Amino acid sequence: MPNTSIRKTTTIIYYIIIWMAVFFNHFIILYHFFSSDIYIAIVDSLVYNFVYSLIAFGIWHSIEYIINIDKNSKEKIIQNHAITALITSVLWAYSGYFILSSLYNYNETYMEFLDSSIKWRIYAGIIYYSILIAVYYVIFYYSSYRDEQEKEHRMKALVKEAELKSLKYQINPHFIFNSLNSISSLTISNPQKARDMSINLSNFLRKTLADNENQKIKLKEEIDNIKLYLEIEKVRFGERLEFVINVDENCEDYEIPNMILQPIVENTIKHGVYESIDKVTINFVCKLEEEFISILITNNFDPASVSEIGEGIGLQNIRDRLKLMYNSEDLISIGKNADIFKVSLKIPINKTVD
Amino acid sequence: MNKKLKVIIIDDEKLARDLIRSFLSNYENMEVVAECENGFEGIKSINEHKPDLIFLDIQMPKLNGFEMLELIDENLNIIFSTAYDQYALKAFEVNAVDYLLKPFSRERFDEAVKRVIERIEKAESTSTNPKELANNFVTKDEILKRIVVKKNQKIEIIPVDQIQYLEAQDDYVKIVTKDGSSLKQNRMKFFEEHLPDSFVRIHRSYLVNLNFVKQIDLIAKDSHAVLLKDGKQLPVSKSGYAKLREMIR
Repeated sequence: MPNTSIRKTTTIIYYIIIWMAVFFNHFIILYHFFSSDIYIAIVDSLVYNFVYSLIAFGIWHSIEYIINIDKNSKEKIIQNHAITALITSVLWAYSGYFILSSLYNYNETYMEFLDSSIKWRIYAGIIYYSILIAVYYVIFYYSSYRDEQEKEHRMKALVKEAELKSLKYQINPHFIFNSLNSISSLTISNPQKARDMSINLSNFLRKTLADNENQKIKLKEEIDNIKLYLEIEKVRFGERLEFVINVDENCEDYEIPNMILQPIVENTIKHGVYESIDKVTINFVCKLEEEFISILITNNFDPASVSEIGEGIGLQNIRDRLKLMYNSEDLISIGKNADIFKVSLKIPINKTVD
Repeated sequence: MNKKLKVIIIDDEKLARDLIRSFLSNYENMEVVAECENGFEGIKSINEHKPDLIFLDIQMPKLNGFEMLELIDENLNIIFSTAYDQYALKAFEVNAVDYLLKPFSRERFDEAVKRVIERIEKAESTSTNPKELANNFVTKDEILKRIVVKKNQKIEIIPVDQIQYLEAQDDYVKIVTKDGSSLKQNRMKFFEEHLPDSFVRIHRSYLVNLNFVKQIDLIAKDSHAVLLKDGKQLPVSKSGYAKLREMIR
């Protein structure tokens, strides 16, 4: 991956540049304000800053661990940082001291200065640490903000796509015109039923056409819509379509992602009923489990039928959206045996990303 | 007209059939001899009753309206009744058949029926042969997913990915799968155009599915043959060999 290695190289170059600036500052302070010998100032700055650049590297890579020791308590995090800052600073000040004193032990003036500067150096170490942490947090929050934005963006795009496909499907001419034709027929044989059907169709279309920006919908609402849809298809197909909807009352008020169940039911109708001469039964079961709502949709299909129609709304789209919303791969499973098609969903009830 | 006209209604939705039947009740000289809810029943009824007119839905399970027509031998008067089919609509423009777009008015219905009655009274030859008609409804770049054939009076639906090869035999094309072969009245050119890319015309008389090819053998100087996975050998012409090399590259 050339891209990441380029990024790594640039990061290293920035790192070196920053430390060169720090080194230069340190040197100027010693040389100018403390009137140190120029060589000593260079060596002092070089040793201390080189050592800290190594320590900083270590800190950078263990910050996540330091933060996560006790993630939920702010006091604990501050405490962790304070301890780490103190330890690294003392370590830093004394390891620099150790190296420089073994280099310059003949120079008494410098040794004196070195002795007296230890506590200042510890302060400087703490400041270094604070700056490092601040930079880390800024980068961390910025990148997670960007990730979040990207995720949100993708999620919206996927819902839009699902909506568009679903819209295209429901406003599928076969569905709509055949339903209208059924109404036309019923006006002769059963005007009351014709009226019911036209009301059902209108309600369904109204919901479908409504510009729904929400990512979530109450399970109850989604189920009502599915019932409406199945009622309409039932009028068209009569005995060829049976459906049984079994929803535990205690899960009706939970929210589920928008445009997830509807497309699955549509698929079932399209590949089951449209393609089969025999009766197709759709079973729809919702149960509340400990941490999620489990939804199972099964239908029989004609294994001998070779569909001439393509995929409806992609099950892939549904899988992608569940993954984005709940960060989990195994929320949908699709199975097929001899003549039963089965889709099972798990919708987590607490772990939603808002 | 003394004799009653025999009518068959073929539609998978009962309410749609009811409507046509109810509109037809105004016509004393028409008799609905059968209602069919799928293409299989349709073929059976047509062969049994020899109707003067059929109402035919296009989208039906397993065997759609066009596929049903492919299996009908006699000429027929057909009124299509369909919800919507962009391809079909195009084809309607060039064909002498009538169609009703669901939902349709009684006036529109009467108009279509009137035209058919006129045709029958004038003893005009009824519209084209149903097989040709069906072919016309396959649009130019449509790729078939299945082919319907009649074999020993039974209808078979062959998914195209199960076809090993097709062989031209006079007016027919022999379709070969691992379970045997069936004949279909059509031209090789039609299948060459409407089968997926895995089918290659290796010879004037052969269209092979590359998924079933094991190897290409040199059998004599400049002469090749294709060996299928189950051991059958098919001749390859010069231009067929060029096509194969192109594909494999």
